[in-house]
Amino acid sequence: MVKEMLTGNSAAAWGARLSEVDYIPAFPITPQTEIIEVISQWINDGEMNAKFTNMDSEHSMITAAGTAAATGARVFSATSSQGLLYGYEMLYNVTGWRVPLVLVNVSRGLSAPITLEPDHNDVLSARDSGFIQIHAETCQEILDTILMAYRIAEDERVLLPVLINMDGFYLSFTREPVEVPGKDEVSKFLPEYNPKHAFFKASNPMSQGVAVLGGSAYSYFKYQMHLASLNVLTVHDEVAGEFKRIFGRSYSAIEAFKIDDAEYVIIMSNSFTIKGKAAVNKFREKGLKAGLLRLRLIRPFPSNELKTLLKGKKAVAVIDQNISPGSGGILSKDVTTALYHEPDRPEVILSFIGGLGGKDISHAEFNHIVEEMEKSIETGIVPETQLLYTKNDLDQINNLLNIAGKTLEELRN
Amino acid sequence: MKNSTNEMIKRVRFHGRGGQGMKTASRIVGTASFLEGFFVQDCPLYGAERRGAPMVAFTRLSKEPILERGLIVSPDINIIADETLLGDKNANVFQGIWEGTVTIVNTHYPASHVRNVHGIVGEIVTLDVTEIALNVIGESVLSSTAAAVVCKLTGVISESSLEKAVTRELSSINLKKETIQKNVQAALICFDRIPEAHPHYFEPIKEDKKDEIVKLEYADACLGSPSVYAKGSTKLKKTGNWRLFRPVIDHEKCSRCYTCFVYCPHSCISIDGDGYPQIDYDNCKGCLTCFYECPKKVISKDREVKAW
Amino acid sequence: MSMKNAAYKKFKDISREEHISPGTALCTGCGGLLALRLAYKVLGENVVIVNAAGCFTLLSVYPYSPFSSSWMYTAMACAPAGAQGIRDALDILIKKGKLKSEENLKVVVLTGDGAANDIGLQSTSAAIYRGLDFYYFCYDNEAYSNTGFQMSSATPYGSRTATSLPGEINPQGTVQRKKDLFEIWRAHKPPYLATVSPSHPVDLSNKFEKASKFEGPKLFIALSPCPPGWSFDASNSVNIARLAVQTGIWPLKEAVYGEVKHTVIPKFKPVEEYLRTQNRYDHLFNPVKQVDVIDNIKKDVEQYWERYLDS
Ligand code: SF4
Ligand code: SF4
Ligand code: SF4
Repeated sequence: MVKEMLTGNSAAAWGARLSEVDYIPAFPITPQTEIIEVISQWINDGEMNAKFTNMDSEHSMITAAGTAAATGARVFSATSSQGLLYGYEMLYNVTGWRVPLVLVNVSRGLSAPITLEPDHNDVLSARDSGFIQIHAETCQEILDTILMAYRIAEDERVLLPVLINMDGFYLSFTREPVEVPGKDEVSKFLPEYNPKHAFFKASNPMSQGVAVLGGSAYSYFKYQMHLASLNVLTVHDEVAGEFKRIFGRSYSAIEAFKIDDAEYVIIMSNSFTIKGKAAVNKFREKGLKAGLLRLRLIRPFPSNELKTLLKGKKAVAVIDQNISPGSGGILSKDVTTALYHEPDRPEVILSFIGGLGGKDISHAEFNHIVEEMEKSIETGIVPETQLLYTKNDLDQINNLLNIAGKTLEELRN
Repeated sequence: MKNSTNEMIKRVRFHGRGGQGMKTASRIVGTASFLEGFFVQDCPLYGAERRGAPMVAFTRLSKEPILERGLIVSPDINIIADETLLGDKNANVFQGIWEGTVTIVNTHYPASHVRNVHGIVGEIVTLDVTEIALNVIGESVLSSTAAAVVCKLTGVISESSLEKAVTRELSSINLKKETIQKNVQAALICFDRIPEAHPHYFEPIKEDKKDEIVKLEYADACLGSPSVYAKGSTKLKKTGNWRLFRPVIDHEKCSRCYTCFVYCPHSCISIDGDGYPQIDYDNCKGCLTCFYECPKKVISKDREVKAW
Repeated sequence: MSMKNAAYKKFKDISREEHISPGTALCTGCGGLLALRLAYKVLGENVVIVNAAGCFTLLSVYPYSPFSSSWMYTAMACAPAGAQGIRDALDILIKKGKLKSEENLKVVVLTGDGAANDIGLQSTSAAIYRGLDFYYFCYDNEAYSNTGFQMSSATPYGSRTATSLPGEINPQGTVQRKKDLFEIWRAHKPPYLATVSPSHPVDLSNKFEKASKFEGPKLFIALSPCPPGWSFDASNSVNIARLAVQTGIWPLKEAVYGEVKHTVIPKFKPVEEYLRTQNRYDHLFNPVKQVDVIDNIKKDVEQYWERYLDS
């Protein structure tokens, strides 16, 4: 085991390398490209025994990833944002084929307007596809999650692909110390993939992805994917347990930060969680019993764990780094649904949208969140979903509008 | 005659094979009912199958707004436009029929024979619609003739609405004027040959059979994914009943040239130990490519009338 | 291809083994199915077909399969990418010793003309460009027939489809010329490229046999008379395919690394004889004959062959 300064992208590449993947179909997109560059280099230098193919689009890339997995290979690939959407059709195909591959998404806000910094509309658009989704907070976690993801995906109780999310720039281009496990340790943890259900070989012909007609058959296969996904709740904990035994680092479906005695709980995901943790520390200094949960496993959604963690809490605020126009934040619905029937549920659940397109979430915004939670408890009135947007932000946009020749006064006249 | 006011809706189910015109038939009945001032719905159900495979279409007509959609599980009028479907389990032509259902079978057999062989409940009406279509229209397209039979049996659709509906629907699929005229003529013949509506036609529908909700358990991915491990299993589908005509090889005169074997699109001709072609009648779809291509002209075609 | 050293000389040379069982859901008399059946006889059973959305998707509908070999349905645009994934996976698994080399398969893309000419053109071009070792079998029924026969860019000028109906504004029906997929593919200089017709089984078999000697893309466009779409009696597929060849409408040719050779020089029967067999051309003859449109079709055929017969 060595410790090295790695970007999130390099950590992802290491995850693929240590998992001894057989195949990487690739297509570049910022901010993911470094992952496939690094892997391509390793293969060319003979450091990695795998096949690398430059594809012509993400649609083709995800197709090739899926069919290679259906042939029996261990497959890795990576994409981002528009790329994920361009291949979207194939996400549903790959899950329907029940093939275990790992796809890393490096989050980036969706066009239009086109942008480079992260939010999670891209990855959450795939939340109903059947992909297992795990969202990472640190570069170390990316590497570790890839190793765990193959164990989970290839488990007979699962056999679904995994989508691992990291934030563009905040992780993808950020270096921090990462422990790179040795080959021997990894081979103790992750055995070879040996599919019993889906492969192509001359001695044993089979037809895969066959058309199905009639609702009974279709419902059956679709619901099997749901059951397989639910199995991950158990499988993830087993795998995480073994991961801890071998590598010493521990992961759970939901990361709890200062939650035990907390009364006010903020729920977040991905790399911005670190800002939330800092805010919690500040609130605690002032004597407020604040805590934080980071949703790590997004699909399947760990409802039971969430219920337990939030039992008896006063107030919960979900910060969604995504927006479903006309509805609000996506994850706040999952959280609220999970808690509705709990007798001991938090008194109020507030929903906030923040960090869209990589916009900072400042301490002023966290302050506002806590104030709103307190106010709701006092009045019993829970506000509609709110956008975390400051006076500063408004000044900035006004300035931009001005330069764009869209001065508000002029337009009003 | 029993008054039909306690059941305001009539449900018609059409069984045929792709290409026989059952979708159009359902539309002709739909349009004719519409012209009579009813609330109407008509729709086809497309399966995977192309021309020649079993298909269904539906028409609902009612004096009140229709609070149903989609499949008709229990029809009041059930028309089986292709008699070979009677023996085809996949086609499921008897689904949900009950004492109040009138089943119409396009066959030259009398109704009593159909009842004896298939034990169908409810009324049975038979008519060799194909014969009428072949004679009057010149091909076995059954849209207007089948529709006419149904229109008559409803007892609430007039000859003139039928005529208008046939013209309207066939024009909309770009048929030529003279073809449409022949269709109208054939339709009127069928309308004439079918007896008046029977009193039991409009009895209220019986309760749906009891069913219960089950809990699906996780199945191993071998079972839980839509893959097929069996080889060549489409043979089990026995597409032989798609045939309207049966190709018959006169082996005495056959020169063993292999032409029919090479050209059969459906892999239904094999060569036996003596070099003679043999037809797999379980599966031969009756495309008649072999009949057409045989250079010696020693393959004949027989109309399939005894499909069961 | 000279007949002398060809592997197939007569019908009796054609394999008796069937790799597509009867009982599929495809139309009675489907010309494309016949072409595929004949091709399969040469390919043998160690094959995995990678299929794109189209009529032939219905070859395998759960829980049935007509094949003696393997099959994968992908989606409409990406069968060649699917083939890439399977080929790459087989190669690396064999290289790593995870799969015995006897388990290897030929990878065959199977798509209609819509996928080949329109939505899947990019992924096809990319697969050819990458030199993927695969076969591409395009059944060209000259329209989107699985959805009820709408116009594709392979639909011929002057024919009727459900979305290019002859009418007041365009009495000829389809206004555009058929896209020249052969030339588009040829521009990539693949090792082997050919057109085939189910009416010419010996020519077809020899081409698949010849293709098997090459590594890399081996591409086929099969004329696929479609009884419901082209509107003719199901017994006529072979006859119509034959007429397409004999009139010069469907040139039978091959290109090795881009060098074109015609394998059958037609007798140049009158083009009208071909058009009259199918109701999709009926509006060119009834109620009044559209002489100009028919002449244009003739001229296209003449010009095509002038170019080739001169050189
Ligand atoms: S009619 Fe002849 S060519 Fe057609 S399926 Fe039957 S045997 Fe084959
Ligand atoms: S085509 Fe005719 S002559 Fe030739 S083998 Fe068949 S039946 Fe015999
Ligand atoms: S529609 Fe045409 S191409 Fe499609 S299966 Fe039928 S005959 Fe073949």
